[in-house]
Amino acid sequence: MNNRLLIYFFLLLAPVSYLQATTLPEGIIKLTAYAAPAINLKDIDGEPFNLNDDKGHWVFVHFWASWCRPCRKEMPAIQKMWNHMKNQGLKIVLINTAEDEDTIFSFLSVYAPDIRPLMDINGQVTEVWKPRGLPATYLVDPQGKIQYQALGGRDWNTTSYLTFLRKLIK
Amino acid sequence: MTNKHKIYYVFYIISGLLFFSNLSAMTKAQYESNLLTVKISTNAPQSISAFYEARGFQKKMLDILRQHCFVSVFIRNKSKDFIWLDLSQWKLTNADGEITRLDRNYWKAKWQTMDIPLAHQSIFRWTLIPEQLDFHPNEREGGNIILPRLDKPFNITATFPTKADKQGSPITINFNNIECANNK
Repeated sequence: MNNRLLIYFFLLLAPVSYLQATTLPEGIIKLTAYAAPAINLKDIDGEPFNLNDDKGHWVFVHFWASWCRPCRKEMPAIQKMWNHMKNQGLKIVLINTAEDEDTIFSFLSVYAPDIRPLMDINGQVTEVWKPRGLPATYLVDPQGKIQYQALGGRDWNTTSYLTFLRKLIK
Repeated sequence: MTNKHKIYYVFYIISGLLFFSNLSAMTKAQYESNLLTVKISTNAPQSISAFYEARGFQKKMLDILRQHCFVSVFIRNKSKDFIWLDLSQWKLTNADGEITRLDRNYWKAKWQTMDIPLAHQSIFRWTLIPEQLDFHPNEREGGNIILPRLDKPFNITATFPTKADKQGSPITINFNNIECANNK
């Protein structure tokens, strides 16, 4: 009798676990939430940025470099995703790792002209965040905690990622 | 056939074998299974130098980098579980014995001694493959490992622990007869 109850219990749980497992789009991993390290950088126009100022919103934090091939491939999808999401409450932070202003400008003017990038001139902020590699994307919750990480470059402009991001900011 | 002729024949055969064994050394190799893809390729000093020069690296840095053997590594976990990259479990050897890989601590110390700008140190670090990484299912990453420049072909035996706790059956793969690429 007990065994039968256990089987029913697992049968009931199975669809729930399946749904949870399939809620996340490919390559997005849920982390044990931890406080996002500080980001105090200047953008390409010299304006200061502090991640703390974005508390109360989900923030898409993305590290990239122009020499990294997957970064070049991913960036247009980020721009398109941003075109969909910018008026829906999501914030975006693009952090260039250790390149100069001219390189950043000529790259983004082609690949993501509408996003204002931050310059991690010495690469020290990137170092503290410890990405697995470049590109790297983190999703920081409204309390300033990192909840998700994307593995490598993602096609952010596809339905599964857009739906996921929309669910987050609801 | 006289003994003299026999000696000539043996000499020709050995020379031929040596010639072809050098020719067959590779600058690219690939391992493919249903669990893992690993690709390696060595890069000519000229192309390594050109890459870093385009990032604004100083001549003194480029001069040093050109003297080394850059092996680009690409790894993709095709399995449904974790596969670990742990460079301490990669063994590099050639006819002279074990080869010491120059790891990121070596380079960090070198660049600091030379007072290299932090930005260039950072870019350089990001072009290296991590010393250790738990590859999630379908994750892919790439980067360089750096060796002293070798004039003899070398072998790589790479062991990848598996499962989150590294207690799964390890995957061991071999790349033999790899050579450092030369300028063309």
